[in-house]
Amino acid sequence: MIVDAQNVSRVFAMPAGPVVAVRDVTLQINQRDHIAIRGPSGCGKSTLLHMLGCVDAPTTGTLLFGGENVSRLSDAKRSRLRLRQIGFVFQRFFLLPMLTARENVELPLSEAGAGKSERQKRTSELLAYVGLSARADHRPSQLSGGEMQRVAIARALANQPQLLLADEPTGELDVATGQQIAELLDRVNADGTALVIVTHDQELAGRARRVLMMRDGTIEHEVTT
Amino acid sequence: MNALGFAWRSLVRQPARAALGILGVAAVGALLFDMLLLSQGLITSMRDLLDRYGWDIRVVAGELPRQGPRIRDGVTASETIAMLPSVSGVLLVRVADAKIDRPSGTALNASFQGVDVRTSAGTGVARRPPWTILRGRDAAGPGEVVISESIASQAHLAPGASLMLRPSCVSEHEALPPTTMRVSGIAEFPFASETEDTIGGSFAALRNACSGNVGDEVDVLLVTSRSDADVTAAAIRAARPDLNAMTNDDVVGRLQQTGFSYFRQISTVLTAVTVSFAVLLITVLLTVSVNQRLGEIAALRALGFSRMRVVKDVLSESALIVGIGGLLSLPLGLLLATGLDDILKGMPGIPAELHFFVFERGALAIHLSLLLATALIAALYPMRIVSSLPIAATLRDEVIG
Repeated sequence: MIVDAQNVSRVFAMPAGPVVAVRDVTLQINQRDHIAIRGPSGCGKSTLLHMLGCVDAPTTGTLLFGGENVSRLSDAKRSRLRLRQIGFVFQRFFLLPMLTARENVELPLSEAGAGKSERQKRTSELLAYVGLSARADHRPSQLSGGEMQRVAIARALANQPQLLLADEPTGELDVATGQQIAELLDRVNADGTALVIVTHDQELAGRARRVLMMRDGTIEHEVTT
Repeated sequence: MNALGFAWRSLVRQPARAALGILGVAAVGALLFDMLLLSQGLITSMRDLLDRYGWDIRVVAGELPRQGPRIRDGVTASETIAMLPSVSGVLLVRVADAKIDRPSGTALNASFQGVDVRTSAGTGVARRPPWTILRGRDAAGPGEVVISESIASQAHLAPGASLMLRPSCVSEHEALPPTTMRVSGIAEFPFASETEDTIGGSFAALRNACSGNVGDEVDVLLVTSRSDADVTAAAIRAARPDLNAMTNDDVVGRLQQTGFSYFRQISTVLTAVTVSFAVLLITVLLTVSVNQRLGEIAALRALGFSRMRVVKDVLSESALIVGIGGLLSLPLGLLLATGLDDILKGMPGIPAELHFFVFERGALAIHLSLLLATALIAALYPMRIVSSLPIAATLRDEVIG
């Protein structure tokens, strides 16, 4: 098991009073899982994703990642955990505009302390994997939306994470390009990486083996195919 | 890619912002450098000027040379001092106002320095006069003088020419008959200002010009000691308690307490202002830059970049802006110092060879230290922004925004 979340809740202190974004969620993520989280805007999907990705900690409940209680980890250890075990793909890509596609993919490897030859080899493999070898030396401004998201996926896979988290990965893309990204994510999952996608896209969610329907911060029901 | 490489790319990404920051630091750094050169420049330059001609003690009747009464028995005092075992030689200096007649145009107002040497018996050491010969030769005997470049050009005089002067030796209301002197050379007078017209000659030449009306009075006695100047000055004070014997250190110390301290205070205030301005400039630029990239920074943090790493990125960017700007500030500062020095030396009464801005390694070291501190302090606030950045909330805000 990669993630074991037991009765996790996330409450935000707001001026008008506390807001419960995620309420009493229990969830397990196993190797090779392909999960989609769906639900209306503001139902807590992204907050749950952020907790699963250890960028946010639950207010109550227990969240274990690889058996370790995330709430008890220092900021540095949590950063290390994210760097080594978790990949993130964002709706807005968040590639660094001053770096080329190759350099963007290389960044997490460099941060993890990989040697130069290892970085170069891994980066080339990843760019080939996402079909962008020919665009390796292009900057994000010279890439299309779909290409940017592919670079972002390659970057997320750089340190061979156990879990890939994607927040609306097709949200900024047209239908055809979104389809290509969905296929790429399927392939990532098929090659052994557990995948959790937050999406409004019914077609993208339909590709997952487990679909979690959220409402008002809770998992209303789960559909398994 | 390490933090420095990352910071460099960030600068290159926004060349206008980078150029603004670097040029801002270069301009502010140049001012800062100049203020540091000014803070000690006058003192260093004055000390160099005092030491250059080999006299290490000045004996006057008042507080500072030429700022009080004359030594009434100057010739006698010089002989007494010259006989002290620790004294190597004494130069008497008597200064009188003089008008130099010109064939055409108005007369020139000049000061006439008459000098004479006293040495202890048997030494026979010839002391150089308080001027440097530029052309021709030094004055010899009662009928010869050397003149400053300014007089030479205004009165069209060259070595070998004759000049007619009318000195005021005791009071400015005197009306002495004109005296003709031969110009033996053109000289530079280190304590005269660039526009000051000065004549130099022997004490006998001054007496000759003054028709013997100078008495025994001298303005200052310049003493060269054989060993420690403080010991010699003490010996002079013991021999002549009515006179004020000052070593070069004493003169510099006195000037530091009086006129020069204003420059030091001004430079200190301006240094503080320029450093504050540099800090604010870099802080604003970095803060704007960081705020524009919050989404990217949050994404990097989500991908596992440590808090320390993103802080290092900001600090490196600050160091690069300040480092490049700081390097540019050095030639810019030296250029500016040259221009400002020329302007300040135009003030009346400032010796031509005195400099307000003097390069010193110490000033350079302080300059670099202050720039280093500026880079660090300026980065504090933006570093705080990135280190305390809430990753999840920022990612959410970026998507909503």
